[in-house]
Amino acid sequence: MELTTIVFYVFAAITLIAGAIVVFSRSIVYSAFALLFAFFGVAGLYVLLMADFLAVTQLMIYVGAILVLLIFGVMLTTRVIDVQMRTGTIHVLPALLIVAALAGVLVHVLVSTDWKVLPELFTPEETAPQIGTALLTTYVLPFEVASVILLVALIGAAMIARRERKV
Amino acid sequence: MEAVRTYFRDIWKALSSIAVGLNVTIRHLVRPAVTIQYPDVKLKMPERARNRLYVNIDDCIGCDQCALACPVDCITIETIKATPDQDLGVTSTGHKKRLHVPRFDIDIAKCCYCGLCVYPCPTECIVMTDVYEFSEFDRHNLIYQFSAMKPDQIDDAKAKLKKAEEEAAAKKAAAAAAAEEKKKSEQSKQG
Amino acid sequence: MEELLQSIIGESWILYVLLAAPPLVFILVYALVTVWTEMKVSAHMQDRLAYMYTGPHGILQPVADILKLLQKEDTVPAAADKPLFIMAPYLVFIGTYAGFAALPFSSAYIGSDINLGAFYIIAVSSIVVVGLLMAGWASNNKWSIFGAMRSAAQIVSYEIPTALALLVAVMITGSLNLQDVIRFQEGGILNWVVFGGPLPVVQKLLLLPFTVTAFLIMFIAGVAEVNRTPFDLPEAESELVQGYNTEYSGMKFAIFYLAEYANMYLVSGVAACLFLGGWSSPFGDFMSGPLWGVFWIVAKGYFFVFLQIWIRWTLPRLRVDQLMYTSWKVLIPFLFVCLFGVGLILVL
Repeated sequence: MELTTIVFYVFAAITLIAGAIVVFSRSIVYSAFALLFAFFGVAGLYVLLMADFLAVTQLMIYVGAILVLLIFGVMLTTRVIDVQMRTGTIHVLPALLIVAALAGVLVHVLVSTDWKVLPELFTPEETAPQIGTALLTTYVLPFEVASVILLVALIGAAMIARRERKV
Repeated sequence: MEAVRTYFRDIWKALSSIAVGLNVTIRHLVRPAVTIQYPDVKLKMPERARNRLYVNIDDCIGCDQCALACPVDCITIETIKATPDQDLGVTSTGHKKRLHVPRFDIDIAKCCYCGLCVYPCPTECIVMTDVYEFSEFDRHNLIYQFSAMKPDQIDDAKAKLKKAEEEAAAKKAAAAAAAEEKKKSEQSKQG
Repeated sequence: MEELLQSIIGESWILYVLLAAPPLVFILVYALVTVWTEMKVSAHMQDRLAYMYTGPHGILQPVADILKLLQKEDTVPAAADKPLFIMAPYLVFIGTYAGFAALPFSSAYIGSDINLGAFYIIAVSSIVVVGLLMAGWASNNKWSIFGAMRSAAQIVSYEIPTALALLVAVMITGSLNLQDVIRFQEGGILNWVVFGGPLPVVQKLLLLPFTVTAFLIMFIAGVAEVNRTPFDLPEAESELVQGYNTEYSGMKFAIFYLAEYANMYLVSGVAACLFLGGWSSPFGDFMSGPLWGVFWIVAKGYFFVFLQIWIRWTLPRLRVDQLMYTSWKVLIPFLFVCLFGVGLILVL
């Protein structure tokens, strides 16, 4: 087997196993830490797809920011650590229906897509300059709007936290 | 405006004080160390350093003054009187020795190095030396025994003293008996 | 180096193992040297001598320390979360070691010559944060968790100034690939980014204040990111025993230690690559070449390691509020000014 294929399966296995732990683990902390491996595996898959910028961004944002925030949240709410989490199964029938529908769509996509083999896709160009140029020319408005929204959210969060302390 | 000025002044202060600190440490880095490699290199003790006690037993007259002076009672002295026929000699300071010293123990573990025992000694036989490394694995080894007398010598001296005492007692008793006799006879004469 | 090895061995997994190994060897040797340096420097700064018996001036002491750590019992506290407790030190080291993949060691050797090198190093070092949090939580000890929390908060806060300072250098060099960044600065000390890079003199002089500021801030943020004094709140001995690694002993503790020292070199190496010309010689063509490159980058990186040691034994620890103040209210505004200034000068 080719090395790249082995690496792909390793990353896929990491992602799937970690994902399973996230879903099935009873301890919410285990779930949070398993997310790290899931994100890491996904980043590895991105690298194999030649999306290096996306992979590094995945690490930066999901592992560096979101995951740390999540773990902080879990740890700071002490009661959650002690409680053994168990997601009960309710609404079995609707859930089954939705899952079946989703699976159908995914399988359809999987079967109907015209999968490109690696050499065809292989473009040794840098992706970062292209993404950067696109963000600051074609998509400058959505980009700026998103940043403004995030800034508003940030200020809002700070305001709420402050007010609570003064009262 | 004031706040802005403090802000920049604080930054300047932080940077300049860091520079001062770094300057101090780098100068100490190149300065030779003040410590010494102790077991290999030793500091010379000052002339009047008070460390381990030493007793020159040849000069000891068994006067017990050092033991009395000791605030922690770390000196134990036992003496045996010399009989008149024994000549123990004189000390280097010219004092006549009248007592055997079968036991002169210093528990150096208790010693507080005050030096109070040194001053009362009439013959200057107890002194503080500059020896300061005498750790032991067993604390009983820290009881230093200075007496030069061997057990048989001690027994000998004790026996002699006992004999002398007995002789003296006998003499005394005889004298007393004689005196009594004399008294009695005088009384009978008078009577 | 990659081509050379490929021609000898061919395309196989052994090739990749060999390519990945040099940083590990480097880290191990470097950690031993740095442990010794740290002890010696700290001792001499306090007018002491430190180790003198294990070899001349105690140079074998780190080896003795490692042997001692290897023999020590590897305890896991009864109340600890065993799998996470065991995994945490390795995760911390993996995060650090992954950063070394994109750190150039010479014009001929870099673990992975990817285009996003600098960005990747910043991103992958966030795995360290998760590892620290894991160690703190798994220890089931209040000191550990406080240490981990502080550590994470600190690293997350100081990643922003690091990234921004990195951007300043990247704006001038125009590449995120550290090899390209260094090649841009080749040709002597005046071509280094900290002195404005190989640009026209007027531009250089205009850039100078901004690059020097960015460089300083990069260094400060780097010190904070590796949790060393004056930013060593996560392991503040007087309050938190030893922080997140309080419960660790033996080899696991050694791995934390190794990761900390490796991280020290990583931030130093990145700063050296971005601002001080990495493996390029300060004398232009004189003393340059792949092997001299190794010497230069290690010398530059090690200079910063020494600087970190020097600062550690000079300054007292900051308070938490001062720590946050420094990052958010001093470093980041200054860097925004730098970014704006550099951008303006480069455009004009």
